[in-house]
Amino acid sequence: MNAAYEFVTGPLAWFAWGIFILGAAWRLYSMYQLAKKKDASSWAFMDLGFSLRSIVNWLIPFNALGWRKSPVMTVATFAFHICLILVPVFLVAHVVLWTEFFGISYATLPDSVADAMTLVVLAACLIFAGRRLTQKEVAYITTGKDWLALVIVTLPFLTGFLAYHQIFDYQVMIIAHIVAGEIMLAAIPFTRLSHMVFAAFTRAYMGSEFGGVRHARDW
Amino acid sequence: MKRILPLLILAGLVCVSALVAVQTVMAQDAITKLAPEAFGKLTRPAAVFVHDKHNEKAKLEDCVVCHHGGKDGVIDRTASTEGTPCSECHKVKPAGKATSLQRAYHKQCIDCHRTKGKGPVACGQCHKR
Ligand code: HEC
Ligand code: HEC
Ligand code: HEC
Ligand code: HEC
Ligand code: HEM
Ligand code: HEM
Repeated sequence: MNAAYEFVTGPLAWFAWGIFILGAAWRLYSMYQLAKKKDASSWAFMDLGFSLRSIVNWLIPFNALGWRKSPVMTVATFAFHICLILVPVFLVAHVVLWTEFFGISYATLPDSVADAMTLVVLAACLIFAGRRLTQKEVAYITTGKDWLALVIVTLPFLTGFLAYHQIFDYQVMIIAHIVAGEIMLAAIPFTRLSHMVFAAFTRAYMGSEFGGVRHARDW
Repeated sequence: MKRILPLLILAGLVCVSALVAVQTVMAQDAITKLAPEAFGKLTRPAAVFVHDKHNEKAKLEDCVVCHHGGKDGVIDRTASTEGTPCSECHKVKPAGKATSLQRAYHKQCIDCHRTKGKGPVACGQCHKR
């Protein structure tokens, strides 16, 4: 147990964070190069004001037309992303580890709140999966890549929840959780999850084109 | 005979409850879990720590390994302070860079387990539900 734990919280954790950060930087850089070469005209109209206008308007639930079209997905997506980011960053257990390894400590969510938010993420994952299975127009465009991203995101939350409650064998579950979390980090730049890296730029691009070229709103 | 039987049962019950009472008092004496009052209500299950059995198994004869002394922000690794609770010197919310109570326990316990490659290192191994 100790050797396995040392390995997954030591070398493997460095590896996963390295892939995540360097991978994201590389994906952004190569996308920048590609855009400059293939879509030079777009650079001309990229505009900070229009970009921020679009990002902000899409960040407000039910503000954008796209959000109002499917209320269930809107609620699920917002709840999902808020919990997805806040839980791992402000989880007591994660902050205890930052303190243990680097002496860093900061504000945390109470365990009961984090626990409920974890259930929100898991419920949202079920809704996403259900939508991909039952709605014909979504099922039609769903590929293996979409399922892969969904499974990669679900696993750290599922195993983390089971480990926290010490359901099944704790020692197996905690190692499984840490590995699942590391797989998710490393997968962000190279799977559908890369929208985390690109989302702001996608909106900036749309916002600038609609604002500066078409003189219209894109929300 | 009919009178003696209830008496015997009564005597038996008294003996059993006395035994239970003695055992709980003894169990309270020996440390099996750590739940210092300074934390108030614990957010995690109290950490398992059977003091004497732990130190026997881990072959820790020198009490000062854990019960160090010190004051004014300087640790004294030679002054033994067994019997003084950690919370006497380590505050839950310390001022400045001093080691907090939670950090004191975690650092002392987990660091040794990591260097020895033996003993619990993950949350749920100590904070058992
Ligand atoms: C592995 C670390 C460790 C070692 C080694 C150790 N202790 Fe302790 N001891 C503790 C902890 C932790 C407590 C609980 C203190 C607290 O929570 O404030 C404690 C508590 C005590 C207490 C208070 C008991 C009570 O009922 O409140 C005494 C007395 C004590 N230890 C004596 C000793 C003696 C004597 C030795 C050496 C033979 C020793 N300890 C070695 C960790 C250790
Ligand atoms: C008589 C006071 C006193 C008692 C009792 C005491 N400590 Fe300390 N301890 C200190 C001082 C002083 C320091 C150094 C300043 C600091 O880090 O806050 C220190 C530092 C530490 C450190 C960090 C230094 C290191 O070893 O790397 C840990 C961990 C620690 N104590 C754990 C404990 C634990 C666990 C207990 C109870 C078993 C305990 N202390 C009991 C005074 C005490
Ligand atoms: C100086 C080293 C050292 C310190 C300090 C220490 N431990 Fe340990 N502990 C060990 C070793 C070594 C073992 C493994 C014993 C074995 O299984 O052979 C162990 C085992 C354990 C176990 C498992 C016991 C069992 O029956 O298998 C628990 C629980 C534990 N430690 C809790 C604690 C807690 C809580 C603290 C802090 C208050 C602590 N330890 C501090 C060395 C240490
Ligand atoms: C080697 C044993 C050990 C391990 C491993 C350990 N702890 Fe602790 N922890 C303790 C001890 C001892 C205390 C102080 C006494 C108590 O609370 O039981 C403590 C206290 C705490 C406290 C403050 C008291 C409370 O319940 O509110 C929190 C929070 C905590 N630990 C969380 C964690 C988390 C999260 C992890 C995993 C990242 C962890 N601990 C791993 C031994 C351990
Ligand atoms: C570097 C990788 C990671 C490590 C070392 C790690 C470590 C831990 C530890 C030690 C626990 C506590 C288990 C317990 O209380 O016994 C935990 C819980 C948890 N972790 Fe992680 N984790 C990692 C990555 C992640 C990631 C990437 C996510 C999600 C995106 C995540 C989500 C969770 C959740 C949801 C819980 C349980 C919270 C609850 O139900 O209360 N972890 N993690
Ligand atoms: C921080 C910036 C992020 C933004 C702005 C963002 C935005 C979005 C948007 C707009 C959707 C589409 C929702 C829909 O289908 O209607 C989405 C879906 C999704 N996001 Fe994110 N996201 C971010 C980060 C992340 C991260 C870090 C992860 C996980 C690591 C993640 C995982 C997912 C998943 C799994 C889905 C798809 C759900 C499905 O199967 O339909 N997102 N995101």
